[in-house]
Amino acid sequence: MIDAACRIARPLSDHEAAAADLDLASKLLRSPTVSEVRLAAEPRTEFGKGAARRTRRAGKIPAVLYGHGSDPQHVALPALEFARVVREQGSNAVLSLDLDGRPQLALTKTVTVHPLRRYIEHVDLLIIRRGEKVVVDVYLVVTGNAAPDTLVTQELVSLQVEADAMSIPDEIEVSVEGAAIGTRVLASEVPLPPGVELRTDPEYLVVNIVAAPSTADLDAEATGEEPALTGPGAADEPA
Amino acid sequence: MLVPRKIKHRKQHSPGRSGMATGGTQVTFGDFGIQALEPAYVTNRQIESARIAINRHIRRGGKVWITIFPDRPLTKKPAETRMGSGKGSPEFWVANVKPGRIMFEMAYPNESVAREALRRAMHKLPMKCRIVTREGVDF
Repeated sequence: MIDAACRIARPLSDHEAAAADLDLASKLLRSPTVSEVRLAAEPRTEFGKGAARRTRRAGKIPAVLYGHGSDPQHVALPALEFARVVREQGSNAVLSLDLDGRPQLALTKTVTVHPLRRYIEHVDLLIIRRGEKVVVDVYLVVTGNAAPDTLVTQELVSLQVEADAMSIPDEIEVSVEGAAIGTRVLASEVPLPPGVELRTDPEYLVVNIVAAPSTADLDAEATGEEPALTGPGAADEPA
Repeated sequence: MLVPRKIKHRKQHSPGRSGMATGGTQVTFGDFGIQALEPAYVTNRQIESARIAINRHIRRGGKVWITIFPDRPLTKKPAETRMGSGKGSPEFWVANVKPGRIMFEMAYPNESVAREALRRAMHKLPMKCRIVTREGVDF
């Protein structure tokens, strides 16, 4: 269980300050499994941008819950607690929602973040069941140091994998320790944890080791030619 | 410098400055990026200057992506010219950047060097910017 006192350790915005009054201890309770977090969700009855803004002002996040052929349910999640879950568990967090006293297991599918203010605007949640396999994107982390005078280019930042909903890996490591120029790591060559299957095209290039460009290459400038005119009046006006 | 290879019309209306970026707001290629916090026209000269500032600082071992393109022409009438006589001649090529847009991305193994390179590049750009990381999102 997370200590409620340690949650508000940074300055709060107006949006977050409203959420601080909520009884945090009762809303966020960790279950024994590491990846599953219990959150209290409230059903939403009014919709549209005005209602969504009122929800956010009240320290909640508008969310939608769907999957397994059921009708979409519109809910509101506590903003601070959900932000903490995403920060600690990543974008593939598994939530145990408390919907009017009825538990519902859900996987975070899409988190929409405001590009400038960086608060969570909306969340898509996918209904899952225990023991079910889900397809998720898991981030790739390149580790190790390649050979000298090489440039490690990561072409793919995440892999789409199929894994048990309750044991989704946080990240997948790709080691390039001592890799020489010309080394190419394909998606099929990435070591996956047991029970995880690759869904990305196995031929996709993940990491490419090339020769580091010289300073002359970096400073080479593109030619600044005038563009050719192709539209109406191309014959009349000079390009 | 970056210019379009071919264009349909030499002169266009000035691009709109309102609104927020609707795409290109996430760092997708590299590990670090420069995000615009204000709307601005970024000329191809400014883009090139920022690119050179980054490359001169990181020397070798990194990779830079420019995620904006100056595809809008701006016209200008000559100095000391009376009004009228039609629209001026194309003078600049600009990218119409809205707040939230990622303009440059880079991959580099050392974070402090990468941040310094991007900081130098930010001085070449005409708007307030900030450095963002791919995974470092603070909610």
